Amino acid sequence: MTVPVAINEDKLSETFAALANGTRRAILARLAAGAATVNELAEPFDMTLPAISKHIKVLERAGLIVRAQHAQYRPCALNAAPLAELSSWAEQYRPIWESRFDRMDDYLHELQHRGRTGERR
Amino acid sequence: MTETNGSRDSVVIERSFDAPVKLIWQMWTVPEHFAAWYGPNGATIPVAKMDVRVGGSRLVRMDVQAPGGAISMWFTGEYLEVVENERLVFTESIADENGNVLSPSEMGMPEGHPTTTEVRVQLEAVGGRTRMILTHVGIPEGSPGAVGWTMAFGKLTTYVASHVKW
Repeated sequence: MTVPVAINEDKLSETFAALANGTRRAILARLAAGAATVNELAEPFDMTLPAISKHIKVLERAGLIVRAQHAQYRPCALNAAPLAELSSWAEQYRPIWESRFDRMDDYLHELQHRGRTGERR
Repeated sequence: MTETNGSRDSVVIERSFDAPVKLIWQMWTVPEHFAAWYGPNGATIPVAKMDVRVGGSRLVRMDVQAPGGAISMWFTGEYLEVVENERLVFTESIADENGNVLSPSEMGMPEGHPTTTEVRVQLEAVGGRTRMILTHVGIPEGSPGAVGWTMAFGKLTTYVASHVKW
């Protein structure tokens, strides 16, 4: 059975769009190891600071990174919540299958208890 | 099979049943048995047509009790692999009563939710018991490139997940 889930569609598209770029994925992977400033994030790339800042803004809009408001260098930190949301459609099936198999178990016991092994073909 | 738990596009469940493989196979392939366990609590399976052979089709109707009365849902699909007592693979799509596939948006589901999913059942006899591995996979829509993208994305998610708690 398929169950509709309440996922903000625009938000999902934004997350996907933000992730559809190698530089931005590399930035996220770097941030997974800890917060960093824009300068630190720019270091491994052969790119200008404004170019890196642009990528960071895209990630920020998608909610994938958050930035400190007051610190002088406004370090970036990873916000993994939108990634978790992307993993939800397949996982919604798990409890459905688990309860089906609980019922299969009960049904098997019932069948075998009756002494019928369900031989029918 | 190298499918792992936790992929964005699939769910893998392993169960062991106190019954011979032959009987578990019938749970999936004999309509009367299938109808006995497949529906959610309070639901019934009034129709289960199963032409269990490669290329054969299936059509299942599920009636769910709702406050306003019973809701009927139809699912269709095709058998892709049929190895008796061992492996069964079939597709599943939400359909109308004639087996015409409906789009996710027609069903009020988010875009990006797969139109078709694939159900894989792997059975193995362990003593008199049966080990069953179920894999339910979403078929990615669009170009073959979409598959590569999904894989790249999966790697990133795994990497990030191993560093962060959410």
